[in-house]
Amino acid sequence: MFKYILKRALTYVVMIFLVTSAGYFLAVQTMNPALLEQEKIPRPTPEQIQANFASLKLDPQMSAWERYVQWLKDILFHFDWGRSPNGAYINSEFGQRVWVSTRLFAAAIILSLIIGVALGVFSAARQYKASDRIITGYSYLVYIIPAPIAYFLVQLGAVAINQAAGDRIFFVTGISSPGVEPGWPTIVDMAAHYLVPTFCITIMSWGGYQIAQRQYLLDSVNADFVRTARAKGLTRNQAITRHALRVSFIPVAQSIAFTVPAIFTGGFFAEAIFAWPGIGLWSLQAIGAQDVNAATATLAYGSVLFAVSAILADIATTIVDPRVRMN
Amino acid sequence: MTAAVPPTDNLPRESQDVPELKVDDTPDFKVINKSTIITRRFFRNKAAAFGLIVFILVGLFGLFGGLLAQWDTNTIDPFYMATGPSAAHWFGTTSAGTDLYAQAVEGVRTSMAIGLIVGGLSVIISAVYGCIMAYFGGKLDNVMLFFLETLMMAPQLLVIAIVINGAGGQKIREVLPGWVILTIVLLIFSWMYDARVIRSMAMSLIQRDYVKAARYMGVSPFKIVWRHLVPNIGSLLVLNFTRGITLAILSEVAYTFVGIGVKYPNYSLGSLIAQASSQINTLPWMFWIPMILFFLLVGPLSLMNDGLRDAFDPTSLSVGKAKKDKKEKAK
Repeated sequence: MFKYILKRALTYVVMIFLVTSAGYFLAVQTMNPALLEQEKIPRPTPEQIQANFASLKLDPQMSAWERYVQWLKDILFHFDWGRSPNGAYINSEFGQRVWVSTRLFAAAIILSLIIGVALGVFSAARQYKASDRIITGYSYLVYIIPAPIAYFLVQLGAVAINQAAGDRIFFVTGISSPGVEPGWPTIVDMAAHYLVPTFCITIMSWGGYQIAQRQYLLDSVNADFVRTARAKGLTRNQAITRHALRVSFIPVAQSIAFTVPAIFTGGFFAEAIFAWPGIGLWSLQAIGAQDVNAATATLAYGSVLFAVSAILADIATTIVDPRVRMN
Repeated sequence: MTAAVPPTDNLPRESQDVPELKVDDTPDFKVINKSTIITRRFFRNKAAAFGLIVFILVGLFGLFGGLLAQWDTNTIDPFYMATGPSAAHWFGTTSAGTDLYAQAVEGVRTSMAIGLIVGGLSVIISAVYGCIMAYFGGKLDNVMLFFLETLMMAPQLLVIAIVINGAGGQKIREVLPGWVILTIVLLIFSWMYDARVIRSMAMSLIQRDYVKAARYMGVSPFKIVWRHLVPNIGSLLVLNFTRGITLAILSEVAYTFVGIGVKYPNYSLGSLIAQASSQINTLPWMFWIPMILFFLLVGPLSLMNDGLRDAFDPTSLSVGKAKKDKKEKAK
């Protein structure tokens, strides 16, 4: 199994490399920071712009291939992801933000998986009862609401609650309040700021898990081995928890990897709506500022996130599925 | 896959109960065309039929609503700035004084066009790609799966942002309007998940005898895929089509809302909702009218899903008038 996962990991490394390289070429072809420089006051001469970008290794006169080789060499030999048109180092900009976003995504993924699977089991055990219809109906409703608009409405709701209470209960923008003492108050403050965005991504993402888990559990509840278990004297709930649940979780576990891109996108939307200084907001602003290196670094981050979750999904599948004999 | 689907399950019992009725050779069932069965089954589901009607009405609004409009999308009416719905401006005006009705017509048309193009083409791409993977298997399957997963891994949002915001792509944008570029990128990233599901379904179909028979008869692979595999996954494809439309419209609205989709001078439902978001409390109609139109566009699609699945499912238990009449007679 270890060998199998190592092999998968190698494949993913190749895939990450391809995605990032393709993204780099796309970005180099479509983005042109020199155009934005010309809007500056006082307007720099073309020679100044050229010299400036050449010193940042963003020389617009080099061919795309030469720039790619230069960029790739820096990453491979120095792990240097290049610089922004304004001179900032991608490594430090990225490093400051990466954990902010990763924490948000990880919390949202774990919460929506747990809630989705739990509600899926709950609703499958009560098929066609009122609670099942409400839970499943909610999942289908969420499916047709655009995520950023939902976040926006939640934000408005939180603001309304704050105003009604006359106190700041929910933090709807930013990640920390200024001037909080280090230590315990900082952690509480940070948790308070994480609350609303995490809540938003979670309520918008568990629907898929819920529907899938409900469907697969219903399929396996009617399977022969569960009927056998009931015939041997187990109650319905015992049969579900001991026999049906594990089997029905296998396809859900496999699907974890493929829901991560959606949560990643949702996280970007959440960061844009809640003015959250993570990777998402930063990269959207950087792309607006025609920053090739920042765009590519974020692309790489997104594909690494996918690869990690795909490997985790493989491991989860191996744990729950005793039939998997991988070599 | 013949055209006739006779309700055979009643026949043996009937012939035992009332053998004297079966003296003449004329069959006691009518041969119904397959497309007729599908249409009938679909319209038997009231919610689905209602959804289809609403969807068509909204579509007609997008196509022909412009004929009724007294204003175009960009003309500023200085006498009606930021006013609610009135006789002069049916959907009210924006904070700049432009007519929301004309913008809504264009928005619905753009969003619907994106949805239909992306939904329709991605179904075809995913079906062909998935079936080819399943049919040929082996090395080709591995390579194609690798390509598919690589595309899946690339963050769609960033690629869209790069393509839409890249100033270097100015030349492309002069030729193609922004919403067409968005459509192309959405299409590139829309088919992989369906293709994976179709691959695994087609893999089990390929083991069936009729596919083997066709293979041994020397029928060309592409013909087998087209004639034997594609019809068998028909109900899945139809569902993918409606789901694809919904997803494309949703993505358009979502991306435009955060500023990386359709841009002025084009209007879409997403850009209408986005332009209203800062004034939701002062000019509520600017936000809620596009939102209602959006739900009138995607809501019917999810109502239609169930009816479509039933209509295209060869093992459907949906009981029609003909069968009910037969049961009555049998009693």
